[in-house]
Amino acid sequence: MTPAVELEGIGKEYGSLVAVRDLTLSVAPGEVLGVLGPNGAGKTTAIRILTTILEPSRGRFAVAGIPHTRPTEIRRRIGVLPESAGYPERQTGEEYLTFHGRLYGHTRAGARAMAHKLLDEMGLHERRRSLIASYSRGMRQRLGIARALVNDPAVVFLDEPTLGLDPAGQRQVLEHVRRIATERGATVLLSTHLLTEVEDNCSRVVILNRGRVVAEGTVAEVARRAAAPRSGRVRVAPEHVERAAVALAAARDVVEVTSNGQPGSLGVVFRSTETSADVALNGAVRALLDSDVALVSFELEGARLSDAFLAMTEAT
Amino acid sequence: MDAVVPAAIPDRKRSSGLAVVFEQELRDLWVGGRGLALSLAFSVLLSVIAYLVATNTALNFLEQRESVNLTLQVAVAVGALLALLTGADAVSGERERGTLESLLVTPVGRVDVAVAKLLSAFSLWIAAFAITVPYVWFLGRGVGITGVALAAGLVVGTLLAVFLASLGIIVSILSTSNRVSLSVSLFALLALFAPTQLPSSAQQGWAGELLLRVNPITAGEHYIGKIVVSAHVWSEDASWLISPIVAAVVCAVLAPALGARFIRLRGGVSR
Repeated sequence: MTPAVELEGIGKEYGSLVAVRDLTLSVAPGEVLGVLGPNGAGKTTAIRILTTILEPSRGRFAVAGIPHTRPTEIRRRIGVLPESAGYPERQTGEEYLTFHGRLYGHTRAGARAMAHKLLDEMGLHERRRSLIASYSRGMRQRLGIARALVNDPAVVFLDEPTLGLDPAGQRQVLEHVRRIATERGATVLLSTHLLTEVEDNCSRVVILNRGRVVAEGTVAEVARRAAAPRSGRVRVAPEHVERAAVALAAARDVVEVTSNGQPGSLGVVFRSTETSADVALNGAVRALLDSDVALVSFELEGARLSDAFLAMTEAT
Repeated sequence: MDAVVPAAIPDRKRSSGLAVVFEQELRDLWVGGRGLALSLAFSVLLSVIAYLVATNTALNFLEQRESVNLTLQVAVAVGALLALLTGADAVSGERERGTLESLLVTPVGRVDVAVAKLLSAFSLWIAAFAITVPYVWFLGRGVGITGVALAAGLVVGTLLAVFLASLGIIVSILSTSNRVSLSVSLFALLALFAPTQLPSSAQQGWAGELLLRVNPITAGEHYIGKIVVSAHVWSEDASWLISPIVAAVVCAVLAPALGARFIRLRGGVSR
């Protein structure tokens, strides 16, 4: 099956500044790929290259099976919500979408029908004749997503779609992102800072740092491969704290046992290896039970995408 | 959410990218209010000028032909200025408002974007000329120069408006910010108008005439003066139209050509 997006050795420099280096990646059709990275990692540059806004300094890529040498054809098959997109304040939502529909070759009537349908889907139908100047940030982002869909794209690029939104607005936008993939079957590249967005919505994730790919795979694979330091929080009966501390200290893969001063609560730091999370947890629990400690709870921390993200972006 | 599958569109019904962007640019300019406000300011200015020249004519301080010439020259100069300012905001303004990227990710070519913006900026001159017509008719009635004055104003004004609107677009494409674009455009306009303020003695001789001829604005205004005040025939001073024609053609070709390469998210010419 032809990948929806394929990059090979993509690099981009601005003078001496390297924005993206040797980016090689393949995204399958229908996939929701989370693109993560700290500020300046090259996420927006990579998206602008793929959306043909910027020319790469080197390398090649194809989007929806169309090589980068045919940028106009690529633009016909993609939808884009740029980072910090601006909107014409004096247009209504309906006029805005109709205009963009016509840019993709639709007749005026066809574009207007498309605009009505998309505004309805995005929950903006009642405000379709209001000026965009009166829209909230969340409404503008949903309008931007609607605009990205006017050409029924094969690949949708969303650059920080939840930036600046309150939790309710974030939830609404993410719900639409999910539906783009599940109901339209489009491939989605979602660039974001919110790691929970990626964990909850993306089938795969790529982490960029200083213009390079530092991790790629499913969320679980990336978290595991990161070998982020793992820790746990144990709660036992307060009278068993000392016994629990001795038992944990002797357990396999436990590096350190700490007390945080709260009655019956201990912190545990495990040895950092690729596969020891479950084994280490089992070993620690077994050591407690063997010592007749009344275990109230054992919460494993780490092994989340956020740990992997921090480990990979701080280490390089 | 059902996938919206676009129906097949017959070619003859497809919207042309250039036409769609041009229509939107016109709508933004005229329905958005800026075009109407500028036109209103233009008509107020022209009213003041017309009142002053009319009173001077009534007091025999000014020939009727000269009053028409003066009003027409102001109309052409200010009309072209409006086109320049609109052009200077066209690309750099969209960059700063964050609306350019959404346009660049559509299949519409950047040449089409530049041409649509150029035509939209030019529309201000059309409006300015339409406003000028009744003033010229009023000031020129009775001496039979209304028609020829309006025709000369239309030709020269159109050439200068194309030149200045294109120049504004070029500056806007290449500028790193909208403020720089507007400042550079205004400075260029002042530099072009500077020779009109030279004393008459400095405009004499071959050097003075050369200066007037190579500058499209002074050459165009000089041509209007020859037609309206001196009552020359069209062909007699046609050589004065060379620099306005050359400037209009060169800039009108250069603006889309540069647009194809340099209409980008960042201004300037570096890659």
